Order: sequence, then C-alpha cells, then structure tokens
Amino acid sequence: MLVRFWGTRGSIPKAMRAEVVRSKVIAALVAADGRRFDSETAVARFVDEELEMPVAGTYGGATSCVEVDGGEGDFLVCDMGSGFREFGIDAARRMAEGHSKTFNIFMSHMHWDHIMGFPFFGPSFDPEVKIRFFGGHDDLEEALRRQQEEISFPVPFEWLKANIEFNKVVPGETVEVGGYQVSTVKQYHSHDSYGYRFEAGGKSLVYSTDSEHKDDDPESEDMFVEFFRDADLVIFDTMYSLLDAWTIKQDWGHSSNVVAVDLCSRAGAHRVAMFHHEPIHDDADIHRVHTETIRYEELIGRNSRLEVLCAYDGMEVAL
Amino acid sequence: MELKQETRERALIVAPNGVIDHDSAPAFEEQLHKVLKSADDGALSLIIDMKDIEYMSTVGLRVLMRVSKRAREASVDIKVAGMNACMCEIFKISRFDKVMQVFDTVDAALAG
Ligand SMILES: [Zn+2]
Ligand SMILES: [Zn+2]
Repeated sequence: MLVRFWGTRGSIPKAMRAEVVRSKVIAALVAADGRRFDSETAVARFVDEELEMPVAGTYGGATSCVEVDGGEGDFLVCDMGSGFREFGIDAARRMAEGHSKTFNIFMSHMHWDHIMGFPFFGPSFDPEVKIRFFGGHDDLEEALRRQQEEISFPVPFEWLKANIEFNKVVPGETVEVGGYQVSTVKQYHSHDSYGYRFEAGGKSLVYSTDSEHKDDDPESEDMFVEFFRDADLVIFDTMYSLLDAWTIKQDWGHSSNVVAVDLCSRAGAHRVAMFHHEPIHDDADIHRVHTETIRYEELIGRNSRLEVLCAYDGMEVAL
Repeated sequence: MELKQETRERALIVAPNGVIDHDSAPAFEEQLHKVLKSADDGALSLIIDMKDIEYMSTVGLRVLMRVSKRAREASVDIKVAGMNACMCEIFKISRFDKVMQVFDTVDAALAG
C-alpha cells in the first residue's frame, strides 16, 4: 500500500509568493557558503542532504486529497480538495497506460476545501470512467451538484460523462471496496465529518481529518484510540496548537499535534502524519511545529515508539 | 492525592507530586478546585508549585486549563512555579506558556 499526498493544506489553498522563493534561494546560497560544485549531481546532493525542508522544499498549498495506491485495481482517494486536480492529471496518464478507470472516493465531508477539486477533475468527462463516492452524509450529491450550479461554475454537474454513483457508509460497519476493508467513524466537526480506516494485505491506514477532539469527552477519545489501534499510518488533523484548539478555536472543528501524539501513542500506531496545515503557517512554521511534535513524542516516552511525519504535497509513504 | 499546602505573603501555595495521568487526574482536579475555593475565600492568590511533578500528560494540562479558567472567573490570580525541564518543554510545545503565568521558583512567583 502506497499513500500519496496530493493536497495537505487546510481550509483554503495557499500559493507560494515571490518573496518566499527569494528567501529560500538566499538561505540556500548562505548555506552553500561559497562552495563550488563540480556537477549538477553534486548540487542535488547538497540540496537533498544538507538543506532543511523549509529551505530546499515546501509543504505545498493544495487542500486535502490523499491517494491510496494498492499497485493494481481501482483508484482509491480520500477527499477532493484542490490537490484532486493534480491527481486527475496523473490518473489520466495512468489510465492511458492501462490502469482501471474506476475511482473509489471516500469523502470526509463537503466543506469547500474538500470538494473544490472536483469541477477540475478531467476524468469525469470520460464516458468510460466510473466514479463511486462513499461517505457518511446524506447530502453529498447535493453538495457536489450545488458547487457546479451556473452561479458558481460554468460547467453543470449534468454535463459530466462519467458514470457517477453515491454510496452511504455507516459508522461501526465495515464494507469491502476495491479490495480494502473499510470502516467508518463519525467525527466532531461542523455538519459532521467522517474518518476512515482502510485495511488490506495486513496493512492499515486511517484517514482522520477535520476532526476535533473535545477536552472533556474521554469516551470519544477511547473510541478514537480503538479506531487507530495498531494502525501503520494515521493521517491526523493537526491544524492548531493544543492551546488554541482548547481555547479561542474551540468548536472550530480541528485538532492539534499534541492530541495527535497522545491518541496515536495510546493506540500503538506506528506512524502519524500531521495534516490539514494551517494556511497562516509558512514552511518554516510547519517545520518548527513538526520538530516540536517529534520532541513531544520523545518526552511522553512510551515503550512503543511512534514515528511523526509531516505531510507535504507530493509525499509518498509506503506501508 | 493530598496536596501539600502553605500560605505565604497573601498566596496559597500547593505542591502536587508524581505523575498526573489518566488515573491520577480526577483526584488532582478535585483537590485543585478545593484549594482554589480556599484561595478565593481567603482573598489569596494561588501558586501551583510543580517541582515534585515528574510529568503531566495532556490530561493534566486539561485540569490546569479548567482550573485556571475557573480562577479567572473568580478573579483569583493563578501562577505555576518550579517546573522541571520536561514540563517546561511540554508547556512550550502546547503553547500553555502563552496563557499561564510561569515562574522558575515559588519565590519568583511571590515576587512577580
Ligand atoms: Zn478542511
Ligand atoms: Zn471542514
């Protein structure tokens, strides 16, 4: 199972501005300190091995979209944020090379940052394509149709050529989709959201974004610990600091890096990926929070170690 | 859990100890609410001396947050003092250092 992140930002896409690129170039040249490189390969090695993430790269700015690539069979995707457009371009390329034309798409919920990529999804104009939506909401179809009404978008949903179907999933039940056993959990978020656990070939992945963990609900916490139990990777909403999540941003529907480590450690999960990054944060901010989260995991020091990843657009994790 | 208590210079100083986790948090919270009431009744400020707290998970932070909220409502000044290096880091990472008054020692808290 290969997990591919097409969009990792929360709430709204974030574009890179000229002054940010400029500051990265300056930081890289300062780090090089006048050194001469005898080949492009040597430069690439310097960039890859000696520069820190916020200098050499970026977390990206596309909103939630995660692909689960099982190597063969149908496509499996969680959410259709702005990263879904990029995914669609790559999927079209793979279909041309013989990949299945069926897409199984699990939707956490229908806030804009999770559906805005769909109108730009090229494969939905291919009559040979089948799109099977799965979600816990009754109004998923309504949300997707509404976003393409004339007042907001020039191409109505009815013009799409793909065969599109909507399937409702129920928390507590397990369904088999495209070779994965999928279970669902209901999450605390405006108009509800749903988290999913995918299992296949002895590996397990949890996608749990836009999910607030209340500070006074130990029963719900225990339920999530069970849902995350022994997972190989948990993708977790770490948009806020613990303080903000419990005070000024209480009931805004998101969680923190500290709660991510607490719950995933208790669950014995192997890895957690910080996800749904706050759009106010730049690369340096996200990198700092990642470093602090790794440190927090060391401090709470349980026996089984949890590896803390920080998702970025383009990141791939093999399970 | 019994909290050691003493009153000095218009401040009620309490010193919890050990590890605050899932098991010990409810008793910790109950005790803190009690001393908060004593502080309020005696028009004292409240200083939590953390020097004997080895480690506190988020369950403990949650207790501190609720107690400090209650303290604010009652207009009781609440301070935290003497945290070990581990607790200082946890406060920083969770951003609790931005809202709670943190001092190196009880003496510094009394002076500050
Ligand atoms: Zn979102
Ligand atoms: Zn949302």
